[in-house]
Amino acid sequence: MTSLNIFPQSPADIRPVLTDPPWARTLLTGMALAFLGLFLFLPLVAVFGEALAKGLGAYVSAIVEPDALAAVRLTLLAAAIAVPLNLVFGVAAAWAIAKFRFPGRGLLISLIELPFSVSPVISGLIYVLMFGAQGWLAPVTQSLGLQILFAVPGIVLATLFVTFPFVARELIPLMEEQGTDEEQAAMMLGASGWRILFWITLPNVRWGLLYGVLLCNARAMGEFGAVSVVSGHIRGLTNTMPLHVEILYNEYNFAAAFAVASLLAGLALVTLAAKSALEWRMGCHGASTH
Amino acid sequence: MIDILNVTKIFNGYVALNSVSLNVKEGELVALLGPSGSGKTTLLRIIAGLERADGGQIRFGGEDATGLSARDRQVGFVFQHYALFRHMTVFDNVAFGLRVRPRSTRPSVEETRIRVMELLDLVHIAHLGGRYPTQLSGGQRQRVALARALAIEPRVLLLDEPFGALDAQVRKDLRRWLRRLHDSLGLTGVFVTHDQEEALEVADRVVVMSQGTFEQVGTPAEIYDNPVSPFVYRFLGNVNSLSCRVRYGRAVGEGFDFPAPEFEGIRDAAGILFVRPHDLEITDPGQGNSVTATVGHQTILGPIARVELRGPRGEDLEVELTRARHAELGLEGGAKVGIVPRRARLFLDEALHGAERDMNGADIRAVS
Repeated sequence: MTSLNIFPQSPADIRPVLTDPPWARTLLTGMALAFLGLFLFLPLVAVFGEALAKGLGAYVSAIVEPDALAAVRLTLLAAAIAVPLNLVFGVAAAWAIAKFRFPGRGLLISLIELPFSVSPVISGLIYVLMFGAQGWLAPVTQSLGLQILFAVPGIVLATLFVTFPFVARELIPLMEEQGTDEEQAAMMLGASGWRILFWITLPNVRWGLLYGVLLCNARAMGEFGAVSVVSGHIRGLTNTMPLHVEILYNEYNFAAAFAVASLLAGLALVTLAAKSALEWRMGCHGASTH
Repeated sequence: MIDILNVTKIFNGYVALNSVSLNVKEGELVALLGPSGSGKTTLLRIIAGLERADGGQIRFGGEDATGLSARDRQVGFVFQHYALFRHMTVFDNVAFGLRVRPRSTRPSVEETRIRVMELLDLVHIAHLGGRYPTQLSGGQRQRVALARALAIEPRVLLLDEPFGALDAQVRKDLRRWLRRLHDSLGLTGVFVTHDQEEALEVADRVVVMSQGTFEQVGTPAEIYDNPVSPFVYRFLGNVNSLSCRVRYGRAVGEGFDFPAPEFEGIRDAAGILFVRPHDLEITDPGQGNSVTATVGHQTILGPIARVELRGPRGEDLEVELTRARHAELGLEGGAKVGIVPRRARLFLDEALHGAERDMNGADIRAVS
């Protein structure tokens, strides 16, 4: 029988229980960094490298080319419509879900999450099924003379669908955590519903709201699958930036493809920086909530 | 001023308030006292209009306010966790109620500033106007919440566990201060608390609540001296209970036999004798009307000494003595002593006589 050795032999053995040995820490950190470098940083460098491979002149001309500019305009338009609509919808849905209990609340939460669980290509196909020549709503749209599919409205609708959850998902947990005490206090002081919304509820979630809008915008501009299905790929008319990149690439016009891609990569970097800044702000404010 | 008439509230089949009625007089400060789940906060929220009653009426100054929304009731409400607007300064918090008024009655910017500064002065935090709620201590937040509630010149002030989130010393100071403030402003107020000491110290009248009903309504002295039920007796402080039999107007137990003329008509029933720890005297064992007990742990609590004892049936007893008396007795652990109730209250055992709740307690005065 040996007795259990509870006490360490020498001071060197005394190490906080939850700390790994140095070699393990180095190895793990190294692996993570190598992975990130290989799969994230190198491709990013490659995008800009390829874009500038034929010189700055080729880069600029690929971007100012009319079809490319049309794609940029369409992407901005789709985002400019989808983001504000989803902002209003997201705030309304989050307000209802976080501050009230009503029948069908669970179903509403599931519906908001739906676009995340469905492949974007399927989302696009849903619109084809609805608005296509043989679609369910085809008689309605045709009688009204509306062209939805293979036109700008289809692209906006598809973008709306896939970016649906971002704002609401960001706000719901935040609003739930904050509860309804402040709203009730405002009501006791005589404030109307709109006053409470604009003076109390929204200011309290402003950083989360901005964060949601940012993510929503990034997705709206970068969306490929759903938009690809409904777009019809008509150059200069129904091509968004991601679709334009694909077309150029398939035509072996690598420098131009990467030049447009570099704009999207730039957007991603700006988003990332803004996101980090917001997270830092939210961290400060998050810590200050009692 | 506030009339609560047969107010009933049911949550998913659970009766939170069972047809309670109360009249709060102008300038009165009433405490709703009870354990959690007794319905006290629900009643407060119904008075405020934050909760809708399933039956009954709320009247303010004779006018029916039952259908009035919370924002039109002109009621000041101080929330348990203060619910200060976290993104506004103290000044803006207090000014909120003035700024959201309709344009016709809204004071000018300058008037608002003067009014807010007066209020901050009143609650002694004029120097903190520029701070945010997170930069304040609990007591300071409490004062901001109060100033904010007073800004709308409420007809009625309601406070939900106003001192619940504060530490002991701040609590004591704030509650005296609140009482003085109440007197100087002449407001009608209702506050909720689960702390009997708080209720007895601050309120003009105390409503003891249990399971959605009023157990007893009365001044602090009435409530403390004449509890109408074992529940109220137990809720208002530490208590010793000695079981006994009630026979023809006498309470007979192990070592004692007291007259209880109020229970003359009872032939034989189980009863419980309630005695506060400071109403028990320690004597030599076996003398007259005394319960024999064994001395256990003894604690010195500042000016008083607390002696724990074990009664003849193994019950835990507690006696509080002055330090002088304790020193005089020189008790030793394990010693047999006699304990004599100076003052006690007899109740019939409710478990056996649930239907006879009206035959409530009667005072017993021991004759020694």
